[in-house]
Amino acid sequence: MEYLSVVFTLPALLTILIGTFAGVVVGGMPGLTATMAVGLLVPFTYTMDPTLGLMLLGGIYCGAMYGGSIPAILLNTPGTPAAVATAIEGYPMSRRGEGGLALKTSVVASFTGGTFSVFILLLFAPLLARQALNFGPAETFLLAIMGLAGIISIADENTSLIKALLSGILGMIIAVVGTDDMSGSLRYTAGLVELIDGVDFMPALIGLFSMIQMLELAGQRDHAPIDTSALGGARKRAKLPKGIGKFMALGSGTGTVIGILPGEGATIAAFISYNFAKQVSKAKAMFGKGNPEGVAAAEAGNNGCVGGSLVPTITLGIPGNSVAAALMGAFIIHGMIPGPELFTIYADRTYPFILSMFVANVTFLIIGLAFAPYLARIALIPPSVMVPVVCAFAVLGSYALNQSVFDIYLMIAFAVFGLLLKKLGFSLEGLILGLILGPIAEGGFSQGMIIGKGSPTIFFQSEIAKVMWLIILVLLLPPLVSHIRRLRGTKAR
Amino acid sequence: MIRKLIAAGLAGTMLVGTAAFAADYPDQAVTIIVPSKAGGSTDTTARIFAEVAESKYEGFEFVINNMGGSGGQKGFEAIARAEADGYTIGMNFTPQMVAHVVSGRADYTLDSFHIMGNVAQDAGIVAVPKDSAIQSMAGLAEAAKGGDLTVSVNGIGSDDFLAAKAFEKQAGVTFNLLPTKGSTEQKAGILGGHVDAAFMNLSQMIAQHNAGDARIIAILTEARDASADQIPTAKEQGFEVYMSATRGFVAPAGIDAGIQSKLDAMLADVLADPAFKKKTAASKIALLPMSGPDYTAYLQQLQAETQEVYDAAPW
Repeated sequence: MEYLSVVFTLPALLTILIGTFAGVVVGGMPGLTATMAVGLLVPFTYTMDPTLGLMLLGGIYCGAMYGGSIPAILLNTPGTPAAVATAIEGYPMSRRGEGGLALKTSVVASFTGGTFSVFILLLFAPLLARQALNFGPAETFLLAIMGLAGIISIADENTSLIKALLSGILGMIIAVVGTDDMSGSLRYTAGLVELIDGVDFMPALIGLFSMIQMLELAGQRDHAPIDTSALGGARKRAKLPKGIGKFMALGSGTGTVIGILPGEGATIAAFISYNFAKQVSKAKAMFGKGNPEGVAAAEAGNNGCVGGSLVPTITLGIPGNSVAAALMGAFIIHGMIPGPELFTIYADRTYPFILSMFVANVTFLIIGLAFAPYLARIALIPPSVMVPVVCAFAVLGSYALNQSVFDIYLMIAFAVFGLLLKKLGFSLEGLILGLILGPIAEGGFSQGMIIGKGSPTIFFQSEIAKVMWLIILVLLLPPLVSHIRRLRGTKAR
Repeated sequence: MIRKLIAAGLAGTMLVGTAAFAADYPDQAVTIIVPSKAGGSTDTTARIFAEVAESKYEGFEFVINNMGGSGGQKGFEAIARAEADGYTIGMNFTPQMVAHVVSGRADYTLDSFHIMGNVAQDAGIVAVPKDSAIQSMAGLAEAAKGGDLTVSVNGIGSDDFLAAKAFEKQAGVTFNLLPTKGSTEQKAGILGGHVDAAFMNLSQMIAQHNAGDARIIAILTEARDASADQIPTAKEQGFEVYMSATRGFVAPAGIDAGIQSKLDAMLADVLADPAFKKKTAASKIALLPMSGPDYTAYLQQLQAETQEVYDAAPW
C-alpha cells in the first residue's frame, strides 16, 4: 500500500505522464524505437531520483509499444516491427473509414494486454521466471517456426501461398548477410563495416511499408476517396465490435507468455497472437481485409510483452528483449542489480516502478481514446502533403537509428525492390517476417544442434517442445487444407 | 546586421578551430566516441569520466557520441580516422579492438592510436549451473575429457572465446563450444541448465552467483577480486588462464604533444579522484587504472596472444 502512495504523488504522476506520452510519439515515428529511446535516456536518469527515472523509462516502454499501431492503422506504415500485423488489418479498416474504430480497438487491446502482463509481473514474477528457464535454444527455434507459420496465414486470394512462402524465404536469405554467430565468419558483407551486424530490419521496415505506401499514393492517378461517412460516426461513439474481448484476452495471454521467454520479442508475440486469432475467429474470411479481431489480438499481444519481458529481467537479470535489456542498464546504473535484492532491499523502488506501469497503461488509454477521432482524420490528408512529409520522416528515421547514411540507401533499396515485389503479388509481410525471425530460427537451430551434439532429437525431447510442435501443426494444417480445397475447387470448375 | 554578425562569428570560430594550439585548448567541446550503445557499462564509464572531468577542469566540455555495433569496429575506425586536433578522443575495449586487427577486418592498427590509459576491467570467469557436479577448474578439465562438455562463450573472437581456447590448450581438452549472441543467452543457458559451463565476465554473473542461481568456479585474473573475494582464481587452482575485458581511453595518433599530455594528465587525475571512484563503484564498475605506456604494452601483448589463437583456428 505504501508503494501506491509513492506512485500517486505529483512528480511521479507527471513523470509517468511525460514518459508515456513521449513513448507514444517515439513508437509512432517509424525509425524511432523504444530500445533507442530507453537506451538514450538511461544515462540521463543517472542524475534523477532512481524511482522516478525508472518510472520515466517504464512509461516510454509502455507508450512506445502502443504508439507503433497508430501510423500502422492510418498510413499502413508500422512504427515498430511489432505493429506489422496491426497494419494488415488496421489499414484496410482505415480505408473503409473505420480508422477511428481501428484506433479505438488498438488502444483498448493495448491497454488490456499491457495491464494483464503487468499484473502477472506483479504477482507471479519469480515463479514464472523459473519456468521460463526451461526454454532453451531448441524451443527458441520452435517459437520462431511458430512465428514463421504466420506466413501461411498471410496467403489469401491476393497472394498465392507459393508467393507468400517465397517472400518469407527471400526475407530469410537477406537475413543471412552479416556475421555468422557460430563460426564468426562474415557472410556476403561485401567488405562493408555497415553489414557486419547484418541488414538492420528497421530500414527494411521503413522502406517496405512507409516508403512503398507513399510511392503508391504518389503513383495513383485518381485518389480513391476514403469513405468519410463513417468518420462522422466515429466522432460520436463507435462501439467496439461484439466478442472482441475474446481476442484481446487471447492476445494478452499469448503476448505475456512469449514476453516472459528470455530473448523473445514483441514481433513474434504479435504475429503468433494474430495467427491464433485467425484460427479461432468465426470470420476467417475477413482477415486481411480489415478485421478488428486481428487488430485486437496483435495489439494485445505486443503490449502483453511489456510486463512479460520484465519478469526474467528483474528476477534473474536475463532481459526478455532489447528494450528490457536497456531498462536493465538503468537498474544497474542505480546500483539495483536484478535478482532477489530488488524485492527486498530495493522493494521501495521496484514495486512503485511496477505499479507505475499500470498508470502508464491508463495514460495511453486516455490519450488514445481522446485523440482517436482526431487522429483518424490524418488519413484524410491529401497525398500532396502527406507524401513529402512521410518520406522526409522515413529518411530521417532510417538515419537516426544508427546515425548511418548507409541505412538511408538501404531503406530506399528496400522500397524500390519491395514495390517491384508487391506489384508482382508477393507479400511484404512475409518478407519482413522472414527477415526478423530467420536469424532467431537459425540461432536456435544451430545452438540446439550443438547442445544436442549433432542430433536433431533435441528438438523433440522436452515436454514444451512437444506441445509446441502440436501448436505448429494446428497453425499450419487448417490453412493448408483450405488451400488445397480451393485449388481442387478451381480445377473442378 | 545580426546575420552579418553571426556570419562573422562563425568565420571567427572556424579560424580558431583550424589552429589548435595547446595554449588556447580547448575552445570547443571534446567528443568522446563510445563504440557501444548508450546505457552499457563502457558508455557509463565514459559518462562518469566526462561528468567528473567537467567539474574539475573549467573550460572543458565533453560530448558523448555512441557508435555501437559490429563489435565496436565502427567506433574504433571512427576514432582512428578522426582529426588529430584534440577534439575527438574515444574509448576502446578489449579484446575486440585487437581481435579486429588480427582477423584482418580492421583498417586501423594499434599504431593508429595514441593509447591514453586504461580505466576499468571486467574480469573473466567460469560459471556452471548451481547443481552442477563441477566444483573446480580441475573438475572442469576432468569433465571435458571425451569432448562433449557443452561450454558457451559470447561469440567467436570475444574475450570468453580466447579464455576458453587458452584453457583448452592448458588442460589438453576440447570443449563442445557453443557461441552465443551475448551474455543474455549465456545466462539463460546456465540458469536453465542447457549448457554445462560458460566463460563469461564477472559483472554479468555476480548477481546470479550471489543469489545462488549459478556458481562461479574461478575468476581469470592474477589476484582475487575485491568485490567477490570468496571466488578463487584459476591460477590458485593450477591453471594459468588470464582474461579480462579492459576499457580505456585512446586518441587518434598525431595530436599535438602539448594537447595530448594535457589530456593524458587529466585522465590520470580523474581516475584518482574520489568522486570518480565513488560513482563508478555505485555502477559496479571495477577500476583498473593503467598508464598510457603500460596499457600500450598490455594491448601489444594481447594482440600477439590473440594472433596465436587466430593462426591455430581462424574465424
